[in-house]
Amino acid sequence: MTARPWLAHYSSEVPHDLPEFPYQNLAELIRDGSGTYAKTKAFTQVMANGMNGSLTYSQVDQYSDKFAAYLRETLGLKQGDRVAVQMPNCLSYTIVAFGILKAGLVLVNTNPLYTATEMIHQFSDSGAKALVVIDMFADRLPEVLPKTSIEHVVTVRISQFLPPMVAGVIRITQKFWSRTLPKIKVPHTPFMDALVAGGKALSKDKLAAYLSGVNRDSVAALQYTGGTTGVSKGAMLSHGNLVLNTLQLIAMCGDYMRPGKEVVVTALPLYHIFAFTINLLGFWHMGARNLLVPTPRPPSNLRRVFENYKVTWMTGVNTLFNALLNERWFTDSPPKHLRASAAGGMALHESVSENWRKVTGTPIVEGYGLTESSPVLTFNPLNGGGKDGTIGIPVPSTLVKLVDENGSEVPLGEPGELLASGPQIMLGYWNRPEETAATVSGGWLKTGDIATADSDGYFTIVDRKKDMILVSGFNVYPNEVEEQIAAVAGVLEVGVIGVPDERSGEKVKAFIVSGATRPTAAEVISYCREHLAAYKVPSLVEYVDELPKSPIGKILRRELRAQEIASMSNKRG
Amino acid sequence: MKSLMVLAAETANEATVVNEFEQTLLRVFILIIMFGLGAGLTVKDFTLALRRPWGLAVGWVAQFGIMPLTSYVLIVAVLLPFSPPEGVLFIALGALIMGSVPAGTTSNLFTYFSKGNVALSVTMTVNSTLWAFIMTPLALWAYSNLLGLDESLSVPPGELATVIVGLIIPVGIGMLIRKLSANIGSLIELIGSVFGLLFIPFLIAVWVPRNWQLLLDTQWPTYVVAIGIGAVGMAAAYGMSKLLRLHPANARTIALEAGINNGPLAIAVIVAVYIDSPGLDQILLVPALYSLFIVLLSTVVTLIFRRANLAAEQKIPNLL
Repeated sequence: MTARPWLAHYSSEVPHDLPEFPYQNLAELIRDGSGTYAKTKAFTQVMANGMNGSLTYSQVDQYSDKFAAYLRETLGLKQGDRVAVQMPNCLSYTIVAFGILKAGLVLVNTNPLYTATEMIHQFSDSGAKALVVIDMFADRLPEVLPKTSIEHVVTVRISQFLPPMVAGVIRITQKFWSRTLPKIKVPHTPFMDALVAGGKALSKDKLAAYLSGVNRDSVAALQYTGGTTGVSKGAMLSHGNLVLNTLQLIAMCGDYMRPGKEVVVTALPLYHIFAFTINLLGFWHMGARNLLVPTPRPPSNLRRVFENYKVTWMTGVNTLFNALLNERWFTDSPPKHLRASAAGGMALHESVSENWRKVTGTPIVEGYGLTESSPVLTFNPLNGGGKDGTIGIPVPSTLVKLVDENGSEVPLGEPGELLASGPQIMLGYWNRPEETAATVSGGWLKTGDIATADSDGYFTIVDRKKDMILVSGFNVYPNEVEEQIAAVAGVLEVGVIGVPDERSGEKVKAFIVSGATRPTAAEVISYCREHLAAYKVPSLVEYVDELPKSPIGKILRRELRAQEIASMSNKRG
Repeated sequence: MKSLMVLAAETANEATVVNEFEQTLLRVFILIIMFGLGAGLTVKDFTLALRRPWGLAVGWVAQFGIMPLTSYVLIVAVLLPFSPPEGVLFIALGALIMGSVPAGTTSNLFTYFSKGNVALSVTMTVNSTLWAFIMTPLALWAYSNLLGLDESLSVPPGELATVIVGLIIPVGIGMLIRKLSANIGSLIELIGSVFGLLFIPFLIAVWVPRNWQLLLDTQWPTYVVAIGIGAVGMAAAYGMSKLLRLHPANARTIALEAGINNGPLAIAVIVAVYIDSPGLDQILLVPALYSLFIVLLSTVVTLIFRRANLAAEQKIPNLL
C-alpha cells in the first residue's frame, strides 16, 4: 500500500475516501440536481455584447428527457450507441449532453474547430451513429459524413433558448453581418424539432428502461485525447469515473463551494474534460449557476460576464487567467464576489497565481489530471494549505506514486514518472487494447509526466517525459526554463524545446512572444544564467509572433520541434 | 457669395445649417445614439474615469489649451497671409469661436466606434461644456485681442444646459435599462450603433447638396483652417496623451474629444451674438465647413484607431 502523507493536509471536512457509490449512473446524479434545485437558474449563456438567456434546473431536466426520448425512439438508437456532439458552450449543449447520458448512450465530445480530416477520424473511430452539431460548423458535413457511420444529424443554433427578440437579432447578425451560417447541404433535423418529436414519444417507463443495466462500469463518454502524442484515441470514461471524479473534486473544495449559491464562469469549452467534469457536472451537482461563454476570444468577450453577474467562481487555464490580468477593465474592477478560482490543463505560472491573488484578493489553486483520469487526480487545498507551483495533493480515494524506468518508487525528492490509481481512471482506450495495456496496468495509470514529491505529499510536475531535453547527459525540463524566461520583462509567452546539436546531443532553444518592449536575446540569456544551472540556459533564442497551441492553450512543444526541424532541413537543403 | 447669403439666412432662421425637419430628425438620431452609448456603460465606468482625473485634466488642457491655440496659429500662419483681405477677419473670428467651444456629443459616438473609453468621453464632454461658460469667452477674448479684434462674447447658459441635459438624461436612462435587463440594454446599444453608422452619411447627405456652391467658392486658406483645426487639434491632443503615457484607449478618447468640437453650439452662439453683424455669413463660414469636414476626418481617424485597437488586442489561443 502506497503511503498517503497528504491526508494530513485535507481540511477537516474532506473525507479520506469517498463513501459507497452514491449513484448508479450520471443520469441519477443529474436528476438529483434538478430535483433539489428545480427552480434555480442552472445555465446562463452570455454573449460578448451581454445578450443572454437562461435555463432552470427543471427546464434542463425536462428538455434533456425529451432529447433522450428523441434519440432512442425517433432515431431508434440502442443502449451504448455513440452520439457525437460538436458545439461551443451554449445552452443547448447541456441538454444534448444530459440527454445522451439519460438515454444510456455514449457521448463523444468533439472540438467544433476540427478539420474535416480530424472529424472523420473521430467519428469513424468512435463509430458514432448520430451527430449533434452547431449550424455554424455544418458546412464540412458533405465531405465528412460519407466516410463515417453517422446516420442522423441534428443541428443546433447558438441563439437557441435566448429570448425571441435577442435570438432574432443574433440570427440576423449571423446571417447578414458576420456570415457565419453556411448552407447545410445534408439532411438534418433542427434541434427544436427533435425536442418536439422526443416530447411526443416520451414516457416515464421508457426513460427508466433506457438506463436499465447502465451502472458505474458502463461507458458514459469517449473523450478523445492524445492529440499531443500522436493518433487521437477515445478514452472510455465510465459513469462511475465521472460521478466519482465529480464528487472527489467537490470534496476537495470543501466550504468554498456552497450548495445553491455559486455563480461560476465557464469560459473553457465544455467539450474538454476539464470544464465538462468540473463546471458542467460539479457545479450542477452543487446547484450553481453556470455562466456559459461561447468563446473567450478575445478576452474582452468576458467583460460583460463580469460586469453583469456576481461571479463567485472561475475555472480556467494559465493562458486565460493571464489574459484577464492583462485586461485593464478586469484589473480596474476585479470581481467583487469572487471566492475562488481553479486552474488546470497546463501549469499555472507562479507569477500568474501571485498576481491573480493580488488583483482579486481570492485564492487560486492548481489541480492536475488527464483526460484518462476524468480528469482530476490532484488538487491544492483552497483553505490556505495550497503550495504554489505544485499540483497539490491527491483527491480522496486516489493514490499517486512516482516511479523510475524500472517501475520502482523513487526516493523522496527525486523525479519519477507519476502513476495514479483511483475510481476515476478510465476503463481504457476505445478499441485499442495495446495502447490501453501500455497506459493502464494493475489499476495504475501511467501519466507520462515527470514529477517530484515533498514530504507533505505535494507533487510538482517537472515535465512531460517526452519533452525532456538531454544536454550532454543532463536532464533539462523545459517548464523550468520557461518559468524563468516568463519572468523577464517584456516576455508574453515562451516555449522551450531541445534541438539536435552535434556537440551536446541537444541544446536548449527558446521561442518567445514578446510584448511592446522586446528584451534582447542577450538579456534573456543573461537572466537565465543568473537563475539556472549553465546547462539549462538556452543557447538559442528566437522571437515569434505566435506559439503553436492546443485547443485549451497548452503550448505544443511537439509542433515547435517539428517546425524547427523542418526549418533546419530547409536551411541545409 | 449668393450661397453664403443663403446659408446665413438659413442659419439665422434655424440657428443651424439644416432645416426644422432635419433638425428634429438629427435630435432623434442623437437621442437614440446616446441611449445606445448609455446602455453600454455602467456606473463603475464613470467612477473609474473620475478616480483617474488625470485623463480628464489632460482632456481639459487639450480642449481649452490646444484647440484655441491651433485655431489661432492656423489663422496667423495660413489664413491671414494667403487670403484676400476683404472680410478675412470675420472668417478668422469664426475660426477662433470654432476652436474655443467645448466638445459635442458627436465625439462620444466616434469614441465608441474607436473602442475608446466612452465613460471618459461622456465625462469630458460634460466637463468641457460646464467649463465653456468661462473658458470659451476667455479663450476668444485672449486670441481675438492678439488679432487686434477685441471681441467679447458670452455663451448663453441655456445652450450649454441643453447640451448637458441632452447628454446626461439619455445616457443615464440607457445605463438604467442595462442594469434592469442586460438583454434590452444590449439591443438598445446595437440599435444606437446602427443609428450612429447612419448618422454620418445622413449628415453628409443633408449638408453637401445644400452647400455645394459654398464648397466651390471657398478659398483654400479657409479650407486649411476649417479642416486643420480638427486635424491638428486631434494630432496634438493624441501626441500629448501618448507623451504622458495615458492608456491607448484614453489617448484615443482625448484625441477625438478634443478635436471634435460642438459645431452646432458654435453656430448657435454666433447667430445669437452676431445676428446683426454685416459679416455674419463670413463668421459662420469656418464653423459650417468644420461641421462637415470633422465628420469625414473623424471617420478616417476612427478607422485608423480601430485598426490599432485590433492590433493591440490580446491574442489568446483558441479555447473554443
